[in-house]
Amino acid sequence: MKYWPTRVVSILAGLGACFLISAAADASGNDYTKRLVVLAGVWVILSVSLNLINGITGQFSIGHAAFWQVGAYSAGIISVQHYANSGITGLPWLLLMMVAGAIFAALAGLVVGLPSLRLRGDYLAIVTLGFGEIIRIIVQNQKPLGEAYGMNVSPKFQFTWLVWLTAFAAIAICRNLLKSAHGLPFLAVREDEVAASAMGVNVTRVKVTAFLIGSALAGVAGALFAHYEGFISPQQFRMEQSFIILTMVVLGGTGSITGSVLAAVALFYLPEKLRDMGPVTGGQLLAGTFATVLAVYLVKRVIDHFHGTKKEAAIRHLGIVLGCMALSFVLSIVLNQVPVLASARYEAEKLRMVIFSGVLIILMLVRPQGLLGHAEFSWEWLKRVLGQRRSEAAQTS
Amino acid sequence: MSLLELNNATIKFGGLVAVNDVSFAVSKGDLFGLIGPNGAGKTTCFNLITGVYKPTSGSIKFKGRELSGTPSNKVAQLGIARTFQNIRLFKALSVLENVVVAAFLRHRVGLASAIADLPNSIRETQELKDQAMALLEVLHLDKVAHTRSCDLPYGMQRRLEIARAMATQPELLLLDEPAAGMNPQESDDLLRVVRQIRDQFNMTVLLIEHDMRFVMNLCEKIVVLDHGCEIAQGPPEAIRSNPKVIEAYLGEPV
Repeated sequence: MKYWPTRVVSILAGLGACFLISAAADASGNDYTKRLVVLAGVWVILSVSLNLINGITGQFSIGHAAFWQVGAYSAGIISVQHYANSGITGLPWLLLMMVAGAIFAALAGLVVGLPSLRLRGDYLAIVTLGFGEIIRIIVQNQKPLGEAYGMNVSPKFQFTWLVWLTAFAAIAICRNLLKSAHGLPFLAVREDEVAASAMGVNVTRVKVTAFLIGSALAGVAGALFAHYEGFISPQQFRMEQSFIILTMVVLGGTGSITGSVLAAVALFYLPEKLRDMGPVTGGQLLAGTFATVLAVYLVKRVIDHFHGTKKEAAIRHLGIVLGCMALSFVLSIVLNQVPVLASARYEAEKLRMVIFSGVLIILMLVRPQGLLGHAEFSWEWLKRVLGQRRSEAAQTS
Repeated sequence: MSLLELNNATIKFGGLVAVNDVSFAVSKGDLFGLIGPNGAGKTTCFNLITGVYKPTSGSIKFKGRELSGTPSNKVAQLGIARTFQNIRLFKALSVLENVVVAAFLRHRVGLASAIADLPNSIRETQELKDQAMALLEVLHLDKVAHTRSCDLPYGMQRRLEIARAMATQPELLLLDEPAAGMNPQESDDLLRVVRQIRDQFNMTVLLIEHDMRFVMNLCEKIVVLDHGCEIAQGPPEAIRSNPKVIEAYLGEPV
């Protein structure tokens, strides 16, 4: 009875959000900003799809960029060779290419999924890593694919909304799967394969399904990426990219879809925004590092030794962070009195990846289960939190 | 016809013969006990039946159908469910979810409907949850249905293992040391539950147990293994007074 209204409203809300994101990106009138919005969407698809394989099904795969690459190159080469004489134009062609990207990437996923039936943990990780490199090197040596120089993909299609719509679809697929009883065998395989099998779960089928869906989504991301950028090269799908996707999943909380989305957006924007940071002096750098280490130490102490309510703990965390920020400010002024430190200058461009990795180390120290752990955002959760607020407010008044 | 039949089942791991020429038959409705000292091959027997291992020789028949070489999930599908001696719950999942995983074995709605979140998938998920909840009530776990399974005390984890196995709607239930680590009060409760499983749910039970009071009170037929070989078979009274069993396992009464 309440099924269709809820469904229609949530689909409309998703569509609305896509157009809002797209409109906001257009309104900025800045190509760089717009590109960041699109790429953030692509990263969201990638991290959500890896989360299905890695976080939900527990298959430690670290070659995810390879599926992305397969999707990008297969859609790209088909566009280059057949767009002109196909008679199909615009959006339908791009949709067709997304399907093509998904199919080719899913085939690749099947190839990697098969060894995963026999291998566990570290061994599977090595195989997927190797697979990622093999794909990149094969592509790098194909003349029609532009070898190491890369290839131009024409025509370009730059639909910001479509990228985000796909991201929403990826999120919806994972969310629906976990909401229904069909998702539980995936989690069961992650938890204990022997027990899952004894309860009648077809472990083989579950793993292959996870790899198929996960890699197909990455392939779609690849097709979108290739047609948005208009140029792809093997350099864009290096091993580091696989690791960044993996980091997003782990950082967001293994298995949490919400976590993957938030971590993807945050980790994508962080290094980009750090570009805007001006040069820093040696004194500032030293003061900042010292204050950060101190803050991490204190926060960790509170986590390990303080047993109060969540609210009290949060106040202490906030106090530590603000205190250390103030400390770093004062300390930087003091240290800059030393001529050597004041004259040494470090460019943002060189520092940003150091800061990026620093943030990762800090997060893993302070919150090893990832930002959200296994938790998910849901309307019920929001209602519960708001309900609590209201009842608390009612009690105090 | 017997429900489960082992005929000269043997498995060798390299030079070690873990189960040697074991034969016994479990009839429908039996409460059947499998006992013996540590390392006698009892759990290995369970692993042979449930397809974790393939017997080196001999046959295992379930309802007249040859089981050896059938993968575990297929065995569960055919109607044999088991619990594990070293508890193997899905730790991060809730108590209810643990049981729903097993109940899911009898699902009908396809993956595509689930991904599209169609009404039939939602309805089925609810049905499976209701089924699971009913089983949790039987094993007095309904109050902790939403607790993470690894946060449960030991005795409850053991009961959850049984609830989970029952959720696959088996005809034959294999219990691997269900009373291990339980106090007398808990094991008495368990005794009643196992009888209820047989009488109310029409399941046949084959169990491994070291708690002799539990086995002798519950089981109607017992097989004794020692060093992989079958040394005795019969009703509890006969087993209790069998000199071979006393020597190998029970010890002289004091």
